[in-house]
Amino acid sequence: MNKTRASVLLAALVMSASVLPVALKAQAHSGTPVLAIADARTREAVTREIDRAASRGLPVRALVAKAQEGVTKQAAGERIRAAVTSLARRLEQARDLLAPSPSDAEMIAGADALAVGVPAPMLRQIRSAYPAGQSVAMPLDVLTELVARGVPASNALEQITQLMRRGATPTHIAGVGASVQSDVAAGLTPDAALEVRARGVMSLLPSPAAAAALAPRGPRP
Amino acid sequence: MNRRRIAAFGFALGAALAFVADVARAQRQPELRIEGGFAYITQRGFSSEDAALLAILWRPTSEKLGFVTSANLTYAQDSLAAAQGVAAVDVPWKWNSHLRTEAGVAGASFALRREGRGGNGNTFVRQHVVAANYGAWFGATAGATNRDGVFARSYAADIGLWQRWGPLYLSGVATRLQSADWPLLLASGVSRNPDDLVFDLYDAQLTAQLRYGPHDIAVTYTARAGTAETDASFAALTWTGTLQIADRVALVGSAGRQLADPLRGLPQAEVVTASVRVSLGPKPLPVLERSLIARASLELQPLGGAVLEVRVLASEALEIVIAGDFSEWRPIRMERVDGVWVARVRLTTGKYRVAVQVNGGEWRAPRNLARVRDDFGGEAGLVVIP
Repeated sequence: MNKTRASVLLAALVMSASVLPVALKAQAHSGTPVLAIADARTREAVTREIDRAASRGLPVRALVAKAQEGVTKQAAGERIRAAVTSLARRLEQARDLLAPSPSDAEMIAGADALAVGVPAPMLRQIRSAYPAGQSVAMPLDVLTELVARGVPASNALEQITQLMRRGATPTHIAGVGASVQSDVAAGLTPDAALEVRARGVMSLLPSPAAAAALAPRGPRP
Repeated sequence: MNRRRIAAFGFALGAALAFVADVARAQRQPELRIEGGFAYITQRGFSSEDAALLAILWRPTSEKLGFVTSANLTYAQDSLAAAQGVAAVDVPWKWNSHLRTEAGVAGASFALRREGRGGNGNTFVRQHVVAANYGAWFGATAGATNRDGVFARSYAADIGLWQRWGPLYLSGVATRLQSADWPLLLASGVSRNPDDLVFDLYDAQLTAQLRYGPHDIAVTYTARAGTAETDASFAALTWTGTLQIADRVALVGSAGRQLADPLRGLPQAEVVTASVRVSLGPKPLPVLERSLIARASLELQPLGGAVLEVRVLASEALEIVIAGDFSEWRPIRMERVDGVWVARVRLTTGKYRVAVQVNGGEWRAPRNLARVRDDFGGEAGLVVIP
């Protein structure tokens, strides 16, 4: 009897542990930020949009943040709804481009890259430059920042994918982005700064062949 | 030929319209001031007179481009009437937030003592270097005056410095002026050397201003030397003050000597004024702080993450907030540190969007950060933390 009770309790614990994150995720978009939209119709429309996105497995926090940004910036209700819908569309597109199983961070990074004008196929190229399972969120973020600074997307992609193929870690790539930022502040053009910084990091990395041999074969823990 | 001209004209018109539209988009809630009052004017050799004053100033608030236009009307029955208009732009440099270029034109129509009817036009350009609490400028002004059919040109070059210590503002300016406007100098008590076609004047001017909240008092001392001999005083002291009596209403007064100004066609006179200023629109921005630019810098931390520091050089009378992904887009009021608005935000690895808002205006990306559209018709700064 005791043994059975213990088994039932254990099963209940396991089930609740697996259900809890889903419940928390579902709650995340029903909080105050969306309710802060003054117009009831818009509020309902935005909530519906976020619910729809959640049911499709899209990262809800990005949509909630977008709605809150609109509220803070005192945007019209219709504009907030349009911004949330547009972001949901970009997130969905990023999810497909970064298939098979992008994380929330990767989907958000991909959606932001699309928003600054990075062509969709480039997301696939970034994905394929790292082994499956290794997050491409940071390379995408750096690509987004460089393109927003005015570096042609093809140049930025080439430098970043080269770094990725030679085994540069996301931290290396983020470091390149930060260095480009300080170079730009010092007066260099973003394009020139990227080339200089990427070369600097590349000189510390193994050759492409060695990098391929060293690359992990499967998903990282 | 005609086609080319039409094409060039069309192109210029299109570019101008695009520029104006862009500027108009960047501008919100223009500052509008209306000032009306009374003046007591004493000119050398004439009895003192009362005059009525009316001034209107319109200044759209914009980070992109400062634009000021004002109109002044002075009227004293049977002796002095003047109408002045000024339009000036103040352009912050895109590549260096410490630099601003200011340029403008002014025009006036006046009648002085019945005989001195005429008009004046002048234009100026000035280059400013601005830091948090000090700055410098140099500039040039050219003016032309037609008085009773006699045309005279005047030129001036000036260089100045300013420094602010808390509520105290000090400035000094040196001006070299050359003019052929003898009628103005003669009316001001200067005796002419017949051999001189033009006269040279050297002015040194010091201003001290004390601010207390919206109130201020300033004193300006000007010493003048020149090639022209004169029995009029070559020194002038002027007091001005503003007393804010309500949110949008201030009493403005001044008293002192106004030296002859050939660039603007103004005669030397002792002037006392008192007027009421009504400010419409948002909180007025102090003149020195029109160019509000947020700058961002990153301090990378040895164990990962970074501290993002955003600084805005602006008056303490303003309200400046920062928001971003780090605050879930909830506005955080920036702090006043050593005369500068500062926000320091500790960020972990990742990508963040950041924007700054001044006095309820547009949300803008701090300089040094990549700029991205925000889906709401505005922009945000983008930063990636390693």
